[in-house]
Amino acid sequence: MTAVVETKGLTKRYGSVSAVQDATFTIQEHTITGLLGRNGAGKTTLMSLLTGQEFATSGQIRVFGANPVENASVLSQLSFIKESQKYPDEFRPKDVFKSAPWFFERWDKDFAERLIDEFRLPLSRRIKKLSRGQLSAVGVIVGLASRAPLTFFDEPYLGLDAVARQNFYDLLLADYAEHPRTIILSTHLIDEVSNLLENVIVIEGGRIIVNQDAESLRGSVTTLVGTAKTVDEFVGARKVLHRDSIGGLASVSVAGLSADERKQAAAAGLELAPVSLQQLVVRMTESNDNEFKESA
Amino acid sequence: MTAIQAEGRTTAAPRGALGRITRVVKLHFANPWPVIITPWLILGLIFAINVSIWAIVTAAAGPDSASEVAEGFQYSGASFYIFVYMMVVAIMAVNATFAYALGFSATRRDYYLGTALTFVVLAAIYTAAFVLLGVIERATNGWFLNGRMFDSIYFGNGPLEQAFCVFTAFLFFFFVGAATGSVYVRWKAYGMIAFFAVFALLVIGALAVITLTGSWPAVGAFFVDAGFVGTFAWSLVLTVLAGVAGFFLLRRATPRSS
Repeated sequence: MTAVVETKGLTKRYGSVSAVQDATFTIQEHTITGLLGRNGAGKTTLMSLLTGQEFATSGQIRVFGANPVENASVLSQLSFIKESQKYPDEFRPKDVFKSAPWFFERWDKDFAERLIDEFRLPLSRRIKKLSRGQLSAVGVIVGLASRAPLTFFDEPYLGLDAVARQNFYDLLLADYAEHPRTIILSTHLIDEVSNLLENVIVIEGGRIIVNQDAESLRGSVTTLVGTAKTVDEFVGARKVLHRDSIGGLASVSVAGLSADERKQAAAAGLELAPVSLQQLVVRMTESNDNEFKESA
Repeated sequence: MTAIQAEGRTTAAPRGALGRITRVVKLHFANPWPVIITPWLILGLIFAINVSIWAIVTAAAGPDSASEVAEGFQYSGASFYIFVYMMVVAIMAVNATFAYALGFSATRRDYYLGTALTFVVLAAIYTAAFVLLGVIERATNGWFLNGRMFDSIYFGNGPLEQAFCVFTAFLFFFFVGAATGSVYVRWKAYGMIAFFAVFALLVIGALAVITLTGSWPAVGAFFVDAGFVGTFAWSLVLTVLAGVAGFFLLRRATPRSS
């Protein structure tokens, strides 16, 4: 495995606010990574740093082995259409698709045309007059058709209806299978993309609180359901991420159960249920407790 | 960090530096309205207004004072507006395309060099048109009205001097615009306020120094010595300063959404 992205102690401060704080992580080649976190958690700032659009306050970034800032040979392999991407005034989608191949060397024109049909994008309407969903579609089409070795999608689904979103996920997966590349997808519609993701990075308050493969992350938390008494006896001193109770019943999410512990829980008459990625991220970002980070 | 950067530079870019710069030029021309069509519409409008003024003045003055009127027409500042408008074109071009080019993975360096090349190309196109219109103006005896707009006295004598003066004037306004646009994309509105405040202070300071040291005759003598052509040649110094300043201002700019 080759690392496409490597950061060490990456920090970005705006005045006294830390948008990204001491982020150290690695992203491997030909993987799909979900960058998950709440609004304002630092997702877009982090991606802007990785693409050389913002300057780091401190720390190191290596993308394809080099600092991306003002580095043409690195940047030529990237595609990053921000959620808030600005387009020249008077530009229409057809002007965007006309100019995109000048900058993206691997641009696939036929694929772009297919995507335009798929998303029913009006080509001659001015960008300013597009709906939020149509604007998102422009970014999605550029991101997919550019076939950049490292492609970023920044909340690509904003304003897209359920059908268009599903279309995007299907197209992304199909094209990724045919043309393997490294994809970083920022989102907070976690359940929708949870099947796509191989790796998960959770960012909260500018800090990376999870950086793990999706499979083991899902297994790292279990929900136990049973009578309140049984649940409490079993949980004991374990760290509880979340607790619901209705009458005499309790449902508790706990971290890191071993196979033996699972058997014990089942023997005690508790029901074990996996936790969805979305619930997991919600639980983790709700509590500012850093203990979880270590136990997960 | 420097070591990392140096290492990155050694890997060959798939596209040559020239290709990366010319695609920025293409980007500026992708929508011809702001850089070509609108300026020509404005120029056409100014021309139409001037033709009517020439016609009115000539008619009012009567045939006896025709030579006096013709002499007066040569001090034409009618084309000045189009030069100033080029500064606006440059500011708008930088503001419109900077974030877009970065979104399309261009470096700031390639973006700025491509933008500078665009402005030189535009200055050349406008100069060629200006000289051509000047030739027509002379051949038609001032559009049959003794009018002067393109062949103004401020641009020296003959097409060669005119071409030089007009070209340097366009370059000056384009690059002052490029530097101003760079201030804007880097610091937005606050940057512009600070920029104009500093600029006003510098101008007032210069005026104060000249006045207090009684140097106005020397300043006057400088322009008389340099002549119109010489003055335009000296403007190249300011043009280069603005161009270099714009480069360094833009190198540290980041795309902002507002």
